Amino acid sequence: MSGPVGVLHPPVRRRRTAATVWAVVVGGVVVAATAGLQIDWRELGQLPAELLRFGTLMFTDPDWERLPRALFEMWRSISMAWIGAILCVVLSIPLGILAARGVGPRWVRLPLRGIFAVIRAVPEVIIALLLLTVTGLTPLTGALALGIAGIGTQAKWVYETIESAEEGTSEAVRAAGGTTAEVARWALWPAVAPALMSFALYRFEINIRTSAVLGLVGAGGVGSMLANYTNFRAWDTVGMLLIVVIVATMIIDAISGAIRRRIMQGPAVNPGRRLVARGGKH
Amino acid sequence: MSATTTPELTLPPKPRNIRQRVLVATGFLLFTIATCIPAIGGITLDIAALIRNWNNGAGLLLQLFTPDFTFLPRTIGPMIETLQMALVGAVGAAIVSVPLTLWAATPTNPNSITRQAVRTVINVIRAIPDLVYATVLVAMLGVGALPGVLTLFLFNVGVVVKLVSEAIDSADHAYMEAGRAAGGSQLQINRVTALPQAWPLFANQWLYALELNVRISAILGIVGAGGIGRLIDERRAFFAYDDVSVIILQILVVVVLIEFVSHALRRRLT
Repeated sequence: MSGPVGVLHPPVRRRRTAATVWAVVVGGVVVAATAGLQIDWRELGQLPAELLRFGTLMFTDPDWERLPRALFEMWRSISMAWIGAILCVVLSIPLGILAARGVGPRWVRLPLRGIFAVIRAVPEVIIALLLLTVTGLTPLTGALALGIAGIGTQAKWVYETIESAEEGTSEAVRAAGGTTAEVARWALWPAVAPALMSFALYRFEINIRTSAVLGLVGAGGVGSMLANYTNFRAWDTVGMLLIVVIVATMIIDAISGAIRRRIMQGPAVNPGRRLVARGGKH
Repeated sequence: MSATTTPELTLPPKPRNIRQRVLVATGFLLFTIATCIPAIGGITLDIAALIRNWNNGAGLLLQLFTPDFTFLPRTIGPMIETLQMALVGAVGAAIVSVPLTLWAATPTNPNSITRQAVRTVINVIRAIPDLVYATVLVAMLGVGALPGVLTLFLFNVGVVVKLVSEAIDSADHAYMEAGRAAGGSQLQINRVTALPQAWPLFANQWLYALELNVRISAILGIVGAGGIGRLIDERRAFFAYDDVSVIILQILVVVVLIEFVSHALRRRLT
Protein backbone atom coordinates (compact mmCIF):
# COMPACT_ATOMS: atom_id res chain seq x y z
CA MET A 1 0.00 0.00 0.00
CA SER A 2 2.57 2.49 1.12
CA GLY A 3 5.35 1.13 -1.12
CA PRO A 4 6.44 2.92 -4.24
CA VAL A 5 5.01 0.18 -6.42
CA GLY A 6 1.24 -0.11 -6.27
CA VAL A 7 -0.67 -3.33 -6.70
CA LEU A 8 -1.51 -3.89 -10.33
CA HIS A 9 -5.17 -4.31 -11.14
CA PRO A 10 -6.17 -6.09 -14.32
CA PRO A 11 -8.81 -4.24 -16.30
CA VAL A 12 -12.41 -4.86 -15.29
CA ARG A 13 -13.98 -7.71 -17.17
CA ARG A 14 -16.86 -7.20 -19.53
CA ARG A 15 -20.21 -8.46 -18.30
CA ARG A 16 -21.47 -11.30 -20.38
CA THR A 17 -25.06 -11.94 -19.43
CA ALA A 18 -25.93 -13.78 -22.64
CA ALA A 19 -22.97 -16.11 -22.20
CA THR A 20 -24.03 -16.82 -18.63
CA VAL A 21 -27.56 -17.64 -19.70
CA TRP A 22 -26.23 -19.97 -22.38
CA ALA A 23 -23.93 -21.63 -19.88
CA VAL A 24 -26.87 -22.25 -17.54
CA VAL A 25 -28.99 -23.67 -20.37
CA VAL A 26 -26.21 -25.97 -21.58
CA GLY A 27 -25.51 -27.00 -18.00
CA GLY A 28 -29.18 -27.79 -17.50
CA VAL A 29 -29.27 -29.93 -20.63
CA VAL A 30 -26.15 -31.78 -19.54
CA VAL A 31 -27.57 -32.44 -16.09
CA ALA A 32 -30.84 -33.62 -17.63
CA ALA A 33 -28.97 -35.93 -19.99
CA THR A 34 -26.87 -37.32 -17.18
CA ALA A 35 -29.91 -37.93 -15.04
CA GLY A 36 -31.86 -39.38 -17.96
CA LEU A 37 -29.32 -42.06 -18.73
CA GLN A 38 -30.06 -45.34 -17.06
CA ILE A 39 -26.74 -45.51 -15.34
CA ASP A 40 -26.26 -46.13 -11.68
CA TRP A 41 -23.73 -43.38 -11.18
CA ARG A 42 -22.69 -44.87 -7.85
CA GLU A 43 -21.00 -47.56 -9.95
CA LEU A 44 -18.65 -44.86 -11.09
CA GLY A 45 -17.10 -44.84 -7.61
CA GLN A 46 -16.13 -48.49 -7.95
CA LEU A 47 -14.99 -48.00 -11.51
CA PRO A 48 -11.31 -47.29 -10.80
CA ALA A 49 -11.08 -50.40 -8.63
CA GLU A 50 -12.84 -52.47 -11.30
CA LEU A 51 -10.65 -51.17 -14.08
CA LEU A 52 -7.60 -51.89 -11.99
CA ARG A 53 -8.82 -55.41 -11.35
CA PHE A 54 -9.42 -56.12 -15.02
CA GLY A 55 -6.25 -54.28 -15.93
CA THR A 56 -4.20 -56.63 -13.73
CA LEU A 57 -6.06 -59.62 -15.16
CA MET A 58 -5.25 -58.47 -18.68
CA PHE A 59 -1.77 -57.06 -18.47
CA THR A 60 0.15 -58.66 -15.60
CA ASP A 61 0.50 -61.94 -17.43
CA PRO A 62 -0.57 -61.55 -21.06
CA ASP A 63 -0.98 -64.82 -22.87
CA TRP A 64 1.97 -64.68 -25.25
CA GLU A 65 1.43 -68.25 -26.42
CA ARG A 66 -1.31 -67.08 -28.74
CA LEU A 67 0.87 -64.33 -30.17
CA PRO A 68 1.50 -66.05 -33.55
CA ARG A 69 -2.22 -66.43 -34.06
CA ALA A 70 -2.74 -62.81 -33.02
CA LEU A 71 -0.12 -61.59 -35.47
CA PHE A 72 -1.73 -63.66 -38.20
CA GLU A 73 -5.10 -62.07 -37.48
CA MET A 74 -3.54 -58.63 -37.19
CA TRP A 75 -2.04 -59.03 -40.63
CA ARG A 76 -5.47 -60.03 -41.88
CA SER A 77 -6.88 -56.78 -40.47
CA ILE A 78 -4.05 -54.80 -42.02
CA SER A 79 -4.69 -56.53 -45.36
CA MET A 80 -8.36 -55.65 -45.17
CA ALA A 81 -7.43 -52.06 -44.43
CA TRP A 82 -4.90 -51.90 -47.26
CA ILE A 83 -7.07 -53.48 -49.96
CA GLY A 84 -9.98 -51.40 -48.73
CA ALA A 85 -7.87 -48.25 -48.95
CA ILE A 86 -6.75 -49.07 -52.50
CA LEU A 87 -10.33 -49.75 -53.52
CA CYS A 88 -11.54 -46.58 -51.86
CA VAL A 89 -8.87 -44.44 -53.50
CA VAL A 90 -9.36 -46.01 -56.93
CA LEU A 91 -13.09 -45.37 -56.72
CA SER A 92 -12.98 -41.95 -55.13
CA ILE A 93 -10.39 -40.26 -57.36
CA PRO A 94 -12.42 -40.43 -60.60
CA LEU A 95 -15.66 -39.77 -58.75
CA GLY A 96 -14.11 -36.88 -56.85
CA ILE A 97 -12.69 -35.41 -60.04
CA LEU A 98 -16.12 -35.59 -61.69
CA ALA A 99 -17.63 -33.88 -58.67
CA ALA A 100 -15.12 -31.03 -58.67
CA ARG A 101 -16.31 -27.62 -59.74
CA GLY A 102 -15.07 -26.79 -63.20
CA VAL A 103 -14.58 -30.41 -64.26
CA GLY A 104 -17.85 -32.32 -64.34
CA PRO A 105 -21.11 -30.86 -65.58
CA ARG A 106 -23.63 -29.68 -62.99
CA TRP A 107 -26.04 -32.59 -63.39
CA VAL A 108 -23.21 -35.00 -62.56
CA ARG A 109 -21.63 -32.90 -59.84
CA LEU A 110 -24.63 -32.27 -57.63
CA PRO A 111 -26.01 -35.84 -57.43
CA LEU A 112 -22.49 -37.15 -56.81
CA ARG A 113 -21.97 -34.70 -53.98
CA GLY A 114 -25.32 -35.68 -52.55
CA ILE A 115 -24.32 -39.34 -52.55
CA PHE A 116 -20.98 -38.52 -50.90
CA ALA A 117 -22.78 -36.50 -48.22
CA VAL A 118 -25.16 -39.36 -47.47
CA ILE A 119 -22.33 -41.90 -47.25
CA ARG A 120 -20.44 -39.53 -44.97
CA ALA A 121 -23.37 -39.01 -42.65
CA VAL A 122 -24.01 -42.70 -42.07
CA PRO A 123 -21.38 -44.20 -39.78
CA GLU A 124 -18.93 -46.34 -41.78
CA VAL A 125 -19.57 -49.35 -39.61
CA ILE A 126 -23.27 -49.35 -40.44
CA ILE A 127 -22.60 -49.19 -44.18
CA ALA A 128 -20.07 -51.98 -43.81
CA LEU A 129 -22.45 -54.01 -41.67
CA LEU A 130 -25.20 -53.78 -44.28
CA LEU A 131 -22.85 -54.69 -47.10
CA LEU A 132 -21.50 -57.59 -45.09
CA THR A 133 -24.94 -59.12 -44.62
CA VAL A 134 -25.39 -59.02 -48.37
CA THR A 135 -21.93 -60.14 -49.46
CA GLY A 136 -21.12 -62.54 -46.65
CA LEU A 137 -18.66 -62.21 -43.83
CA THR A 138 -15.16 -62.69 -45.24
CA PRO A 139 -12.07 -60.51 -45.11
CA LEU A 140 -12.49 -59.73 -48.81
CA THR A 141 -15.99 -58.41 -48.27
CA GLY A 142 -14.66 -56.54 -45.27
CA ALA A 143 -12.17 -54.80 -47.55
CA LEU A 144 -14.94 -54.13 -50.04
CA ALA A 145 -17.10 -52.61 -47.32
CA LEU A 146 -14.21 -50.43 -46.14
CA GLY A 147 -13.65 -49.29 -49.70
CA ILE A 148 -17.24 -48.28 -50.26
CA ALA A 149 -17.89 -46.83 -46.81
CA GLY A 150 -14.86 -44.57 -47.14
CA ILE A 151 -15.86 -43.07 -50.48
CA GLY A 152 -17.96 -40.32 -48.93
CA THR A 153 -15.08 -38.67 -47.12
CA GLN A 154 -12.33 -39.61 -49.56
CA ALA A 155 -14.12 -38.22 -52.62
CA LYS A 156 -14.87 -35.02 -50.72
CA TRP A 157 -11.16 -34.60 -50.00
CA VAL A 158 -10.43 -35.21 -53.68
CA TYR A 159 -12.79 -32.56 -55.01
CA GLU A 160 -11.84 -30.08 -52.32
CA THR A 161 -8.16 -30.54 -53.19
CA ILE A 162 -8.86 -30.06 -56.88
CA GLU A 163 -10.95 -26.98 -56.28
CA SER A 164 -8.29 -25.44 -54.09
CA ALA A 165 -5.58 -26.03 -56.72
CA GLU A 166 -4.40 -22.81 -58.32
CA GLU A 167 -6.07 -21.82 -61.55
CA GLY A 168 -2.91 -20.48 -63.16
CA THR A 169 -1.43 -23.71 -64.50
CA SER A 170 -4.78 -24.91 -65.85
CA GLU A 171 -5.23 -21.64 -67.66
CA ALA A 172 -1.71 -21.81 -69.04
CA VAL A 173 -2.29 -25.29 -70.46
CA ARG A 174 -5.62 -24.23 -71.88
CA ALA A 175 -4.08 -21.13 -73.41
CA ALA A 176 -1.45 -23.29 -75.06
CA GLY A 177 -4.28 -25.23 -76.71
CA GLY A 178 -4.56 -28.14 -74.30
CA THR A 179 -7.69 -30.27 -74.17
CA THR A 180 -9.54 -31.06 -70.96
CA ALA A 181 -7.64 -34.32 -70.65
CA GLU A 182 -4.36 -32.51 -71.12
CA VAL A 183 -5.35 -29.92 -68.54
CA ALA A 184 -6.07 -32.72 -66.12
CA ARG A 185 -2.80 -34.51 -66.87
CA TRP A 186 -0.39 -31.59 -67.00
CA ALA A 187 -1.94 -28.94 -64.77
CA LEU A 188 -4.24 -30.57 -62.22
CA TRP A 189 -2.53 -33.88 -61.59
CA PRO A 190 0.92 -32.53 -60.71
CA ALA A 191 -0.71 -30.01 -58.39
CA VAL A 192 -2.98 -32.41 -56.52
CA ALA A 193 -1.08 -35.72 -56.67
CA PRO A 194 0.93 -35.25 -53.46
CA ALA A 195 -2.15 -34.31 -51.48
CA LEU A 196 -4.10 -37.24 -52.92
CA MET A 197 -1.30 -39.68 -52.06
CA SER A 198 -1.22 -38.30 -48.58
CA PHE A 199 -4.98 -38.70 -48.23
CA ALA A 200 -4.70 -42.25 -49.53
CA LEU A 201 -2.26 -43.14 -46.78
CA TYR A 202 -4.49 -41.40 -44.27
CA ARG A 203 -7.37 -43.56 -45.48
CA PHE A 204 -5.20 -46.60 -44.74
CA GLU A 205 -4.62 -45.35 -41.19
CA ILE A 206 -8.35 -44.85 -40.69
CA ASN A 207 -9.09 -48.26 -42.17
CA ILE A 208 -6.73 -49.96 -39.73
CA ARG A 209 -9.06 -48.89 -36.94
CA THR A 210 -12.26 -49.58 -38.83
CA SER A 211 -11.09 -53.03 -39.93
CA ALA A 212 -10.56 -54.02 -36.31
CA VAL A 213 -14.13 -52.87 -35.70
CA LEU A 214 -15.44 -54.88 -38.66
CA GLY A 215 -13.77 -57.89 -37.12
CA LEU A 216 -15.93 -57.38 -34.05
CA VAL A 217 -19.05 -57.90 -36.14
CA GLY A 218 -17.58 -60.98 -37.79
CA ALA A 219 -15.56 -59.99 -40.84
CA GLY A 220 -12.44 -61.74 -39.54
CA GLY A 221 -9.12 -60.37 -38.45
CA VAL A 222 -7.93 -59.27 -35.06
CA GLY A 223 -11.33 -57.84 -34.16
CA SER A 224 -12.99 -61.24 -34.47
CA MET A 225 -10.33 -62.85 -32.31
CA LEU A 226 -10.75 -60.11 -29.74
CA ALA A 227 -14.53 -60.49 -29.71
CA ASN A 228 -14.21 -64.25 -29.23
CA TYR A 229 -11.77 -64.10 -26.36
CA THR A 230 -13.73 -61.29 -24.73
CA ASN A 231 -16.79 -63.50 -24.83
CA PHE A 232 -14.77 -66.31 -23.23
CA ARG A 233 -13.61 -63.82 -20.58
CA ALA A 234 -10.05 -64.97 -21.35
CA TRP A 235 -8.62 -61.73 -20.03
CA ASP A 236 -4.95 -62.65 -20.42
CA THR A 237 -5.49 -63.24 -24.13
CA VAL A 238 -7.57 -60.07 -24.43
CA GLY A 239 -4.72 -58.15 -22.84
CA MET A 240 -2.22 -59.62 -25.28
CA LEU A 241 -4.51 -58.80 -28.21
CA LEU A 242 -4.96 -55.23 -27.04
CA ILE A 243 -1.19 -54.85 -26.82
CA VAL A 244 -0.85 -56.22 -30.36
CA VAL A 245 -3.53 -53.86 -31.68
CA ILE A 246 -2.05 -50.84 -29.93
CA VAL A 247 1.53 -51.54 -31.00
CA ALA A 248 0.60 -52.39 -34.58
CA THR A 249 -1.61 -49.32 -34.92
CA MET A 250 1.02 -47.01 -33.48
CA ILE A 251 3.76 -48.44 -35.70
CA ILE A 252 1.61 -48.07 -38.81
CA ASP A 253 0.58 -44.56 -37.81
CA ALA A 254 4.22 -43.61 -37.33
CA ILE A 255 5.39 -45.07 -40.66
CA SER A 256 2.45 -43.75 -42.61
CA GLY A 257 2.75 -40.35 -40.95
CA ALA A 258 6.44 -40.17 -41.85
CA ILE A 259 5.69 -41.06 -45.49
CA ARG A 260 2.92 -38.49 -45.62
CA ARG A 261 5.22 -35.79 -44.29
CA ARG A 262 7.83 -36.82 -46.85
CA ILE A 263 5.25 -36.61 -49.66
CA MET A 264 3.94 -33.23 -48.62
CA GLN A 265 7.21 -31.55 -47.65
CA GLY A 266 9.71 -33.17 -49.99
CA PRO A 267 13.01 -34.78 -49.06
CA ALA A 268 14.72 -33.52 -45.96
CA VAL A 269 17.99 -32.52 -47.58
CA ASN A 270 19.61 -29.15 -47.62
CA PRO A 271 17.88 -27.37 -50.53
CA GLY A 272 20.94 -25.25 -51.25
CA ARG A 273 23.11 -28.30 -51.76
CA ARG A 274 20.59 -29.87 -54.11
CA LEU A 275 20.51 -26.77 -56.28
CA VAL A 276 24.26 -26.75 -56.51
CA ALA A 277 24.37 -30.44 -57.36
CA ARG A 278 21.78 -30.08 -60.06
CA GLY A 279 23.43 -26.99 -61.43
CA GLY A 280 26.65 -28.91 -61.77
CA LYS A 281 25.03 -31.54 -63.97
CA HIS A 282 24.40 -29.34 -66.92
CA MET B 1 14.49 -29.88 -90.43
CA SER B 2 12.54 -26.85 -91.53
CA ALA B 3 13.78 -23.35 -91.50
CA THR B 4 11.99 -21.85 -88.57
CA THR B 5 12.63 -18.32 -87.53
CA THR B 6 12.16 -18.96 -83.84
CA PRO B 7 14.98 -20.75 -82.13
CA GLU B 8 14.09 -24.14 -80.71
CA LEU B 9 13.25 -24.10 -77.05
CA THR B 10 15.71 -25.84 -74.85
CA LEU B 11 13.73 -27.35 -72.05
CA PRO B 12 15.46 -27.95 -68.77
CA PRO B 13 15.74 -31.67 -68.03
CA LYS B 14 12.98 -33.04 -65.86
CA PRO B 15 14.00 -33.71 -62.30
CA ARG B 16 13.50 -37.47 -62.40
CA ASN B 17 14.58 -39.98 -59.88
CA ILE B 18 14.03 -43.32 -61.54
CA ARG B 19 15.60 -45.37 -58.78
CA GLN B 20 13.38 -43.84 -56.17
CA ARG B 21 10.27 -44.38 -58.27
CA VAL B 22 11.14 -48.02 -58.84
CA LEU B 23 11.76 -48.43 -55.14
CA VAL B 24 8.41 -46.91 -54.19
CA ALA B 25 6.57 -48.93 -56.83
CA THR B 26 8.16 -52.21 -55.74
CA GLY B 27 7.47 -51.45 -52.11
CA PHE B 28 3.84 -50.76 -52.92
CA LEU B 29 3.52 -53.90 -55.03
CA LEU B 30 5.20 -56.15 -52.48
CA PHE B 31 3.01 -54.86 -49.69
CA THR B 32 -0.11 -55.31 -51.78
CA ILE B 33 0.90 -58.85 -52.75
CA ALA B 34 1.65 -59.65 -49.13
CA THR B 35 -1.84 -58.53 -48.16
CA CYS B 36 -3.28 -61.06 -50.62
CA ILE B 37 -1.47 -64.17 -49.36
CA PRO B 38 -3.96 -66.11 -47.22
CA ALA B 39 -1.20 -68.29 -45.75
CA ILE B 40 0.18 -65.43 -43.69
CA GLY B 41 -3.19 -63.87 -42.92
CA GLY B 42 -3.78 -61.91 -46.10
CA ILE B 43 -7.21 -61.93 -47.67
CA THR B 44 -8.44 -64.46 -50.20
CA LEU B 45 -9.49 -62.87 -53.45
CA ASP B 46 -12.47 -65.13 -54.10
CA ILE B 47 -14.65 -63.12 -56.43
CA ALA B 48 -16.91 -66.06 -57.29
CA ALA B 49 -18.05 -66.45 -53.70
CA LEU B 50 -18.71 -62.75 -53.60
CA ILE B 51 -21.02 -62.90 -56.58
CA ARG B 52 -22.78 -65.96 -55.19
CA ASN B 53 -23.45 -64.21 -51.91
CA TRP B 54 -24.51 -61.08 -53.67
CA ASN B 55 -27.23 -62.96 -55.53
CA ASN B 56 -28.48 -64.34 -52.22
CA GLY B 57 -28.44 -61.03 -50.44
CA ALA B 58 -29.51 -58.54 -53.07
CA GLY B 59 -33.12 -58.88 -51.99
CA LEU B 60 -32.21 -57.64 -48.54
CA LEU B 61 -30.62 -54.57 -50.02
CA LEU B 62 -33.79 -53.93 -51.96
CA GLN B 63 -35.74 -54.13 -48.72
CA LEU B 64 -33.45 -51.42 -47.42
CA PHE B 65 -34.89 -49.01 -49.95
CA THR B 66 -38.46 -49.56 -48.77
CA PRO B 67 -38.39 -48.18 -45.23
CA ASP B 68 -41.28 -49.14 -42.96
CA PHE B 69 -42.09 -45.94 -41.12
CA THR B 70 -44.51 -47.57 -38.69
CA PHE B 71 -41.35 -48.61 -36.87
CA LEU B 72 -40.37 -45.01 -36.22
CA PRO B 73 -41.99 -44.56 -32.75
CA ARG B 74 -39.93 -47.42 -31.35
CA THR B 75 -36.69 -45.74 -32.37
CA ILE B 76 -37.30 -42.49 -30.47
CA GLY B 77 -36.36 -43.79 -27.01
CA PRO B 78 -33.05 -45.39 -28.06
CA MET B 79 -32.23 -42.34 -30.14
CA ILE B 80 -32.62 -40.09 -27.11
CA GLU B 81 -30.42 -42.43 -25.13
CA THR B 82 -27.84 -42.22 -27.92
CA LEU B 83 -27.85 -38.42 -27.79
CA GLN B 84 -27.62 -38.41 -24.01
CA MET B 85 -24.63 -40.73 -24.13
CA ALA B 86 -22.98 -38.56 -26.75
CA LEU B 87 -23.47 -35.42 -24.67
CA VAL B 88 -22.42 -36.88 -21.32
CA GLY B 89 -19.32 -38.48 -22.83
CA ALA B 90 -18.33 -35.24 -24.55
CA VAL B 91 -18.86 -33.13 -21.42
CA GLY B 92 -16.89 -35.50 -19.21
CA ALA B 93 -14.06 -35.51 -21.72
CA ALA B 94 -14.22 -31.72 -22.04
CA ILE B 95 -13.65 -31.32 -18.30
CA VAL B 96 -10.77 -33.78 -18.16
CA SER B 97 -9.21 -32.57 -21.39
CA VAL B 98 -8.24 -29.12 -20.06
CA PRO B 99 -5.55 -30.13 -17.57
CA LEU B 100 -4.40 -33.03 -19.73
CA THR B 101 -3.96 -30.77 -22.74
CA LEU B 102 -1.94 -28.27 -20.77
CA TRP B 103 0.23 -31.14 -19.57
CA ALA B 104 0.69 -32.44 -23.10
CA ALA B 105 1.71 -29.17 -24.77
CA THR B 106 5.29 -27.91 -24.68
CA PRO B 107 4.68 -24.22 -23.89
CA THR B 108 2.39 -25.02 -20.97
CA ASN B 109 4.44 -27.87 -19.56
CA PRO B 110 8.19 -27.42 -19.81
CA ASN B 111 8.83 -30.67 -17.94
CA SER B 112 9.59 -33.14 -20.71
CA ILE B 113 9.11 -36.25 -18.56
CA THR B 114 5.52 -35.57 -17.52
CA ARG B 115 4.75 -34.21 -20.96
CA GLN B 116 5.97 -37.34 -22.70
CA ALA B 117 4.12 -39.48 -20.18
CA VAL B 118 0.81 -37.77 -20.89
CA ARG B 119 1.42 -37.87 -24.64
CA THR B 120 2.20 -41.56 -24.56
CA VAL B 121 -0.96 -42.30 -22.61
CA ILE B 122 -2.98 -40.28 -25.10
CA ASN B 123 -1.39 -42.03 -28.07
CA VAL B 124 -2.14 -45.41 -26.53
CA ILE B 125 -5.73 -44.37 -25.89
CA ARG B 126 -6.03 -43.22 -29.48
CA ALA B 127 -4.61 -46.42 -30.92
CA ILE B 128 -7.59 -48.50 -29.76
CA PRO B 129 -10.68 -48.28 -31.96
CA ASP B 130 -13.88 -47.11 -30.28
CA LEU B 131 -15.84 -50.31 -30.67
CA VAL B 132 -12.96 -52.31 -29.23
CA TYR B 133 -13.21 -50.24 -26.06
CA ALA B 134 -16.93 -50.77 -26.04
CA THR B 135 -16.57 -54.55 -26.45
CA VAL B 136 -14.06 -54.88 -23.63
CA LEU B 137 -15.91 -52.48 -21.33
CA VAL B 138 -19.21 -54.25 -21.93
CA ALA B 139 -17.55 -57.50 -20.92
CA MET B 140 -16.22 -55.81 -17.79
CA LEU B 141 -19.17 -53.71 -16.69
CA GLY B 142 -22.12 -55.43 -18.28
CA VAL B 143 -24.51 -54.36 -21.02
CA GLY B 144 -25.81 -50.81 -20.73
CA ALA B 145 -25.08 -47.17 -21.30
CA LEU B 146 -22.15 -46.92 -18.89
CA PRO B 147 -19.61 -48.72 -21.10
CA GLY B 148 -20.86 -46.62 -23.98
CA VAL B 149 -20.35 -43.36 -22.14
CA LEU B 150 -16.90 -44.46 -21.02
CA THR B 151 -15.96 -45.40 -24.57
CA LEU B 152 -17.02 -41.99 -25.84
CA PHE B 153 -15.22 -40.33 -22.97
CA LEU B 154 -11.93 -42.10 -23.70
CA PHE B 155 -12.24 -41.51 -27.43
CA ASN B 156 -12.97 -37.80 -26.94
CA VAL B 157 -10.14 -37.29 -24.48
CA GLY B 158 -7.79 -38.75 -27.10
CA VAL B 159 -9.08 -36.51 -29.88
CA VAL B 160 -9.32 -33.26 -27.93
CA VAL B 161 -6.01 -33.53 -26.06
CA LYS B 162 -4.11 -34.51 -29.19
CA LEU B 163 -5.53 -31.83 -31.46
CA VAL B 164 -5.56 -28.95 -28.98
CA SER B 165 -2.12 -29.66 -27.57
CA GLU B 166 -0.72 -29.75 -31.10
CA ALA B 167 -2.45 -26.46 -31.85
CA ILE B 168 -0.93 -24.92 -28.71
CA ASP B 169 2.46 -26.32 -29.67
CA SER B 170 2.39 -24.76 -33.10
CA ALA B 171 1.13 -21.35 -31.99
CA ASP B 172 3.35 -18.42 -31.14
CA HIS B 173 3.66 -17.73 -27.44
CA ALA B 174 5.08 -14.29 -26.99
CA TYR B 175 2.40 -13.47 -24.43
CA MET B 176 3.52 -16.33 -22.22
CA GLU B 177 6.96 -14.82 -21.94
CA ALA B 178 5.34 -11.70 -20.58
CA GLY B 179 3.87 -13.82 -17.82
CA ARG B 180 7.22 -15.42 -17.15
CA ALA B 181 8.96 -12.06 -17.12
CA ALA B 182 6.45 -10.83 -14.56
CA GLY B 183 7.55 -13.70 -12.33
CA GLY B 184 4.51 -15.92 -12.68
CA SER B 185 4.66 -19.61 -11.84
CA GLN B 186 3.88 -22.03 -14.66
CA LEU B 187 0.41 -22.58 -13.22
CA GLN B 188 -0.28 -18.85 -13.14
CA ILE B 189 1.07 -18.36 -16.62
CA ASN B 190 -1.12 -21.15 -17.96
CA ARG B 191 -4.15 -19.85 -16.14
CA VAL B 192 -3.80 -16.23 -17.20
CA THR B 193 -2.12 -16.38 -20.61
CA ALA B 194 -2.39 -19.82 -22.19
CA LEU B 195 -5.93 -20.73 -21.28
CA PRO B 196 -7.70 -17.62 -22.60
CA GLN B 197 -5.80 -18.16 -25.83
CA ALA B 198 -6.78 -21.81 -25.97
CA TRP B 199 -10.50 -21.59 -25.15
CA PRO B 200 -11.62 -21.18 -28.77
CA LEU B 201 -9.45 -24.16 -29.75
CA PHE B 202 -10.98 -26.18 -26.97
CA ALA B 203 -14.53 -25.16 -27.77
CA ASN B 204 -13.98 -26.01 -31.42
CA GLN B 205 -12.71 -29.49 -30.63
CA TRP B 206 -15.36 -30.14 -27.98
CA LEU B 207 -18.07 -29.47 -30.53
CA TYR B 208 -16.25 -31.63 -33.05
CA ALA B 209 -16.05 -34.39 -30.45
CA LEU B 210 -19.77 -34.07 -29.88
CA GLU B 211 -20.38 -34.46 -33.61
CA LEU B 212 -18.23 -37.57 -33.71
CA ASN B 213 -19.98 -38.91 -30.63
CA VAL B 214 -23.39 -38.83 -32.23
CA ARG B 215 -22.10 -41.03 -35.04
CA ILE B 216 -20.19 -43.36 -32.78
CA SER B 217 -22.85 -43.73 -30.13
CA ALA B 218 -25.22 -44.77 -32.89
CA ILE B 219 -23.10 -47.87 -33.46
CA LEU B 220 -21.96 -48.62 -29.91
CA GLY B 221 -25.12 -50.57 -29.27
CA ILE B 222 -24.02 -53.17 -31.80
CA VAL B 223 -21.67 -54.56 -29.15
CA GLY B 224 -24.14 -53.94 -26.32
CA ALA B 225 -23.08 -50.51 -25.12
CA GLY B 226 -26.48 -48.83 -25.24
CA GLY B 227 -28.17 -46.48 -27.64
CA ILE B 228 -29.81 -46.99 -30.99
CA GLY B 229 -27.15 -49.41 -32.23
CA ARG B 230 -28.77 -52.12 -30.13
CA LEU B 231 -31.93 -51.68 -32.15
CA ILE B 232 -30.00 -51.87 -35.42
CA ASP B 233 -28.38 -55.09 -34.31
CA GLU B 234 -31.72 -56.55 -33.22
CA ARG B 235 -33.60 -55.69 -36.41
CA ARG B 236 -30.68 -56.85 -38.54
CA ALA B 237 -30.67 -60.19 -36.77
CA PHE B 238 -34.36 -60.57 -37.70
CA PHE B 239 -33.52 -59.54 -41.29
CA ALA B 240 -36.05 -56.72 -40.88
CA TYR B 241 -34.21 -54.46 -43.26
CA ASP B 242 -37.15 -52.16 -43.74
CA ASP B 243 -36.84 -51.29 -40.04
CA VAL B 244 -33.05 -50.96 -40.23
CA SER B 245 -33.55 -48.54 -43.05
CA VAL B 246 -35.78 -46.34 -40.86
CA ILE B 247 -33.13 -46.30 -38.14
CA ILE B 248 -30.41 -45.36 -40.60
CA LEU B 249 -32.51 -42.58 -42.03
CA GLN B 250 -33.08 -41.30 -38.54
CA ILE B 251 -29.36 -41.41 -37.72
CA LEU B 252 -28.73 -39.59 -40.97
CA VAL B 253 -31.15 -36.81 -40.05
CA VAL B 254 -29.81 -36.46 -36.51
CA VAL B 255 -26.17 -36.47 -37.63
CA VAL B 256 -26.83 -33.83 -40.27
CA LEU B 257 -28.76 -31.68 -37.75
CA ILE B 258 -26.04 -31.91 -35.12
CA GLU B 259 -23.37 -31.10 -37.69
CA PHE B 260 -25.36 -28.13 -38.89
CA VAL B 261 -25.76 -26.73 -35.37
CA SER B 262 -22.16 -27.48 -34.50
CA HIS B 263 -20.87 -25.82 -37.67
CA ALA B 264 -22.95 -22.74 -36.97
CA LEU B 265 -21.58 -22.55 -33.42
CA ARG B 266 -18.01 -23.12 -34.57
CA ARG B 267 -18.27 -20.38 -37.16
CA ARG B 268 -19.34 -18.01 -34.43
CA LEU B 269 -16.36 -18.99 -32.33
CA THR B 270 -13.76 -18.15 -34.92
